[in-house]
Amino acid sequence: MGFGVSGSTAIIFLGVLIATGTLYTATSNASENVLEAQDADAERALERTNTDIAVTNATYDTNNTSLTVNLTNVGSETLSVSETTLLVDNAYVDVPSANASVDGDAGTDLWYAGENLSFVVGVDPTPERVKVVTGSGVAATEAVS
Amino acid sequence: MADISVPSLILFIASIVVAAGVSGVLIDTVTGISSSLDERGGDVSTEIRTDIEVISDPQAGVYDGGSDNLSIYVKNTGLRTLPAASGGFDIIVGGQYQTNVTVNVVDGTEWRPSNVIELTVTDIALSSGDYRMTIVVDGDEEVFEFRVP
Repeated sequence: MGFGVSGSTAIIFLGVLIATGTLYTATSNASENVLEAQDADAERALERTNTDIAVTNATYDTNNTSLTVNLTNVGSETLSVSETTLLVDNAYVDVPSANASVDGDAGTDLWYAGENLSFVVGVDPTPERVKVVTGSGVAATEAVS
Repeated sequence: MADISVPSLILFIASIVVAAGVSGVLIDTVTGISSSLDERGGDVSTEIRTDIEVISDPQAGVYDGGSDNLSIYVKNTGLRTLPAASGGFDIIVGGQYQTNVTVNVVDGTEWRPSNVIELTVTDIALSSGDYRMTIVVDGDEEVFEFRVP
């Protein structure tokens, strides 16, 4: 009888040990996943808070049907030119990298704080409004003059 | 001696079998809970990494009354690539679930972070007034309000 009790106790303890180990691993993995995602999300939110852009002007040249949109990075975050989206009259306009220049440099993708970004696109007929959206979703709108 | 040993042996074996059964059930149950917990953690992580933003300018007009089309642009502002298929979206406009939806990635082949898709709802007849559009992708909900003149 004595051996039976000891043996059973040992088996139950072993079971509890295995179950605790499995539960701990799963809990640890799950919480690590969630914490990592929350961390990345908080970083993204901080980036968004530090981002701000302003449309300096949006002018349309009727002679060569081209629209020039000048923007300033008035936030403190370095933005990406290729991630910036231009909407003209609520229609997506693809801006070739050669037509997107940061302070006159069309070869860069980095748009530092305080720098000016200029988009030149061919649009017909005369547009009324433009909207520019950064990669993180911060937007600015302006009426075309 | 043999009379005492046999019942003891039977009791010993029985107690071991019962203990093994209890342990087996415990391990099985906890493994199931652990597996669910792991999956839930993955799901929550995916939901947190998912974020979209409607970037259309409602002032410029998003609804075309002539062809009964509603067209908006949605940007992936999250941290993961999202499915750019009409089946991956739940769209509700003015309280009505929309099924005639087409999706087109306008600046690439996949809807990666920072990429934009054009979401077109066809055969939707809207009278003048204010509307509320709800878009749900992978648990992330975005509300877009617009006015039909």
